[in-house]
Amino acid sequence: MTVFVCHDSFEGILCGVYDAWMSRLGHANVALELENRGNLKMFCDYREAEETPEKTEKVAESIRRTAGEPAYEMVFRASLSREEEKADRIYRFLVYALNLKQDITAMLQIPAVYEVFRMDRNVGNEAHLLIEFARFSRTGDGVLVCSVGPKNDVILLMAPHFADRLPEENWIIYDEGRKKAIVHRAGSGWAVVWTGSDQWRERLEAGTDQKEFEQLWKTFHNRIAIAERTNYVCQRGHLPLRFRPYMTEFT
Amino acid sequence: MLIQEQMDLQEKLAILSDAAKYDVSCTSSGVDRKGKKGMLGNAVSAGLCHSFAADGRCISLLKILFTNQCIYDCRYCVNRRSNDVVRTAFTPDEVCTLTMEFYRRNYIEGLFLSSGILHSPDYTMDLIYQTLRKLRGECRFNGYIHVKAIPGADPVLIEKVGFLADRMSVNLELPTAEGLKSLAPSKSRTRILGPMRQIQNGIRTRKLEMIPYERGQRFVPAGQSTQMIVGATPENDYQMIKVAEALYRNYDLRRVFYSAFVRVNDDSRLPVLPGGPPLLREHRLYQADWLLRFYGFAADELLTERQPHFNVLLDPKCDWALRHLELFPVEINRADYQTILRVPGIGVKSAKRIVAARRAAALDFPDLKKLGVALKRAVYFITCRGRMMYPVKVDQDFITSQLVGEERRKVWDIGTSGSYRQMSMFDDGWLSPPPTVQDVETAVLGQM
Repeated sequence: MTVFVCHDSFEGILCGVYDAWMSRLGHANVALELENRGNLKMFCDYREAEETPEKTEKVAESIRRTAGEPAYEMVFRASLSREEEKADRIYRFLVYALNLKQDITAMLQIPAVYEVFRMDRNVGNEAHLLIEFARFSRTGDGVLVCSVGPKNDVILLMAPHFADRLPEENWIIYDEGRKKAIVHRAGSGWAVVWTGSDQWRERLEAGTDQKEFEQLWKTFHNRIAIAERTNYVCQRGHLPLRFRPYMTEFT
Repeated sequence: MLIQEQMDLQEKLAILSDAAKYDVSCTSSGVDRKGKKGMLGNAVSAGLCHSFAADGRCISLLKILFTNQCIYDCRYCVNRRSNDVVRTAFTPDEVCTLTMEFYRRNYIEGLFLSSGILHSPDYTMDLIYQTLRKLRGECRFNGYIHVKAIPGADPVLIEKVGFLADRMSVNLELPTAEGLKSLAPSKSRTRILGPMRQIQNGIRTRKLEMIPYERGQRFVPAGQSTQMIVGATPENDYQMIKVAEALYRNYDLRRVFYSAFVRVNDDSRLPVLPGGPPLLREHRLYQADWLLRFYGFAADELLTERQPHFNVLLDPKCDWALRHLELFPVEINRADYQTILRVPGIGVKSAKRIVAARRAAALDFPDLKKLGVALKRAVYFITCRGRMMYPVKVDQDFITSQLVGEERRKVWDIGTSGSYRQMSMFDDGWLSPPPTVQDVETAVLGQM
């Protein structure tokens, strides 16, 4: 077995797929793994997948052409998953997709397709919930800031929604776990920024105007519940506890 | 009536959101609208729920009354004329500030504006119109707005508001004219249905126009909705869903909401509900409502004059399937979409996935599980490649007992919503007295 070690990103995984495929060792004899993931396996030959824009472009292009746009989007979202086996799962998915030369996203009876579908669904659902549950606060210089702590790397999927919704605002969405942020400037586009240190967090927390509107929102949130229908189990079902530390009304 | 001057925004918001909380029709769904340069907001047709309150209901819109002063005296309402509560009103500016600032911080998806009737329906509707015009015009707000059409207001005003709002609603409140007469003497059915028909006609005529005469201005693009109170008057479930079905068919309503009656006023005409609000009944009505809108069921299939109430132990779809066992089992790999949709345990999503997946290869039971089918219910009603998952006696009593075992637990959960119970020293075993000397003696000597 030859294991191709790739970087934990969409581009990295696609380059890993390229190297594994073009090594001509046979699909059964190769596997993909993400870098820096604990133990090495015995009797395996480890190779570093080399990341270049040309390889990424080639693989992306052939997925789009032969398997279609839905499959490409599915692979992209699955690559944001937190699961460790995602690289190999995407490879198995692409083996089917590129050999069958049709849109296989609906063929869930194939295990390889189902696994990618499941990761895609998980990422999509979390992104959707965070679009709902993200809370901004305004800093002294008028920037809207928002911290989130998602399990999957979803801020990339949140960005287009907020760029469309708040086009005339300066805003930042900060992923605490990955130390990564989306920065949007009023009237123009957005970009991803890697922020090595905790300084960001401190800066974001300092000097927001929270108090006034925070208090108004908390009042509203309390008053809108009907006492006779109180049902915390239902509330937890819809709004899991892990989102609450980041939400204004629960802090 | 207590009218307090100079209240701050905090107090006003507390009073006017508290007064609006019994209105349930507050989804933000039905319209897709892209953001615009220079404006704030967009709309997503599935609707977004930004938070959930302690009662487990979603908070999507900033749900407030413009004022809780009212000239009417409806018996079920907190804000009725004869109630002694603090009265107040927002100004249009305050509503705009709250909406804009909350929206910017992603607290809400838009505004839900309702109101008590101040002076006259026309006066109130005009206040609402002024507020919306300010919000859309001056503040450049492009998010979702849901407003109430006040029954009895001038049609011209309603039309003007309709061009600014996304969704409008008129609350039917009580499904029959008799119920309305007894609890809301100053409202009448014709006055409620009047604006409903006007909005419907407004939406229809604009759809038929070849060229919209004013670009970008659409009339109530997310359609209209209404709500009915469950359990305040003696109407049965059959009457309720018949009314809902008629509203969907004849008035093109997008949604009918059901609100379990909460006794907020101590009034002799209102029922006393010792078990709290009829939550299970409300739940069954919503289940049936979904069956009407997405599953192609008719009200008469679910209930009849002779059987006017929903089964407490089974959901309406299982109940229907058990009464029509002659149609089952259904072969998953051959049956058409509509037939598959009627199998208990299969929803719209899984039915679509089944139809898409079986084009490639035949499906088996483990595959169905992956597609999201609730096999514990579906298993009695389907075959895969001509076989059932395990030998099942297709017999009404047998399947009912199997399904009820699972369903009974859920009913219990819904009925007794808290997860706590009264502590009892005897049941919890804290109070078993230690054996006395006599007890020990009798035990040793075998004189029990």
